[in-house]
Amino acid sequence: MRDLHYEVQHHINMRQGDIAPTVLIPGDPDRPKLFASLMDEATKVTEKREYVTYTGTKDGVPITCTSTGLGTPPTAIGVEELCRIGAKNIIRIGTCGALQPFLEPGHMIIVTGAVRGEHTSEELIDMEYPAAADYRVVRALVDACKKLGLPYHTGIIRTHDAFYLESPWAHGDYKARLKPWVDMGVLALDNESSTLFVISAMNGVRAGTILSSGYSILEEHPEQDRIHAEENVKKMVMAAIEAAKLLDERGLA
Amino acid sequence: MKKQHHLDLLPGDVPETVILSPDIENIGRIAEFLLDARLIAKKRQYVTYTGSWNDVPVSVTSTGIGGPGLAIAVEELIMVGVKNFILVGSGSLLQTWPPVPSVIIATAAARGDGTSREYFPLEYPAVADWVIVELMVNAAQKRSIQALSGYVRSNDALFAESIYADRINYMQRSKTWIDAGCLATCPEAAALFTLAMARGCRAGAVVAASASHKRPYTFGYLPAGKANQAFTDAVTIVLDAASGLQCKQD
Repeated sequence: MRDLHYEVQHHINMRQGDIAPTVLIPGDPDRPKLFASLMDEATKVTEKREYVTYTGTKDGVPITCTSTGLGTPPTAIGVEELCRIGAKNIIRIGTCGALQPFLEPGHMIIVTGAVRGEHTSEELIDMEYPAAADYRVVRALVDACKKLGLPYHTGIIRTHDAFYLESPWAHGDYKARLKPWVDMGVLALDNESSTLFVISAMNGVRAGTILSSGYSILEEHPEQDRIHAEENVKKMVMAAIEAAKLLDERGLA
Repeated sequence: MKKQHHLDLLPGDVPETVILSPDIENIGRIAEFLLDARLIAKKRQYVTYTGSWNDVPVSVTSTGIGGPGLAIAVEELIMVGVKNFILVGSGSLLQTWPPVPSVIIATAAARGDGTSREYFPLEYPAVADWVIVELMVNAAQKRSIQALSGYVRSNDALFAESIYADRINYMQRSKTWIDAGCLATCPEAAALFTLAMARGCRAGAVVAASASHKRPYTFGYLPAGKANQAFTDAVTIVLDAASGLQCKQD
């Protein structure tokens, strides 16, 4: 059988040695550029389809950022290929649909586990398997937020496939669809994390997610238009970079 | 408030943190670890002692084997004010590389049980509270106890997926979980993790794994001292974590 670990990976277009031990994965292919602007130095490694990669250093620690595109199918491809070329920690960075009334713009959500409301991970392993973040990555993200003075929450989110079924622009009564999850303590919605957690765990790779929150999508907020979302996204990326440094410092990279 | 229907407990009978033991035979052994342990209640398989560890009040409650009995205990303990649960369970190793016995700190659980399914859709994650996991890992390190951390697999029918299975090919049934890296079985973890998560409580579990699929040792076949040591290590880690929670925020 071919050993896929030693080849240039078909989609992310990289091979072993092209990435740092810790890889940040945004969905948006424009975000690796933002990542690069926050590093001491960084260069573009490659770009193919939705997979854009920059690698650089911050305070001497090498860190990579590879976009995965939105949704679990391309995330699964990207994560699997990153595992094959030697990623040790994979941290998703992104935005979300907040579901709990105590969440506000500028709050960070550090994810400990995810509802597997998508189908990609189900094709890989039975639904009984848990989608859980690694506690050491959770710790690094928590410490990073503390260090940067960012308000944060830890808890579970729901990952799902159909954005236009569970968002403020959704068809029909999205609030009714979401209510059971709110009652089960789900903090927010995203479209990638549960697949990341399942694939990473099956590969023995540590994973985590940090999300920049907004107001709950279940409520109306007069301030909604005055949110500086980009500024908060930038803070989130800074927190993830800080977490990557902490993982390195703790011998986990 | 009336006493809880099964556990026979009132608010104030137990502190915020309770150790759970599926094995009713072990409850006295765990109580012996505590300072000033008092028998609080005893009804059916539910026996509760309250005492302290490192000057922090802690209770231990037996739940019986499996998710159904455990869920009753967790629901009733929440009604009398409990916020944190840590389970000391037993199970079999799914991987062949760890020593027998091993102490396994569960970080999440595969949901092969029926109780958590009746409560929550299968996509809901059975994940341990990361603060409890970290406290247990640190406690093990501090005491030089060899402990592994990782996923466990919960299921209901012991005689379908264990070394006791005779009519069913248990290795074939377990293959998915072995290949996915689950370290050991623990019948109760999935019900505990999901229920605690949904009720806004913290939960963790440690498994003293004294049997292995590849090497069919059971508790009885292991030298008694070795099996006892794994149990003692597991209880010590759990109690350290329980007392550590008191002064711990994220």
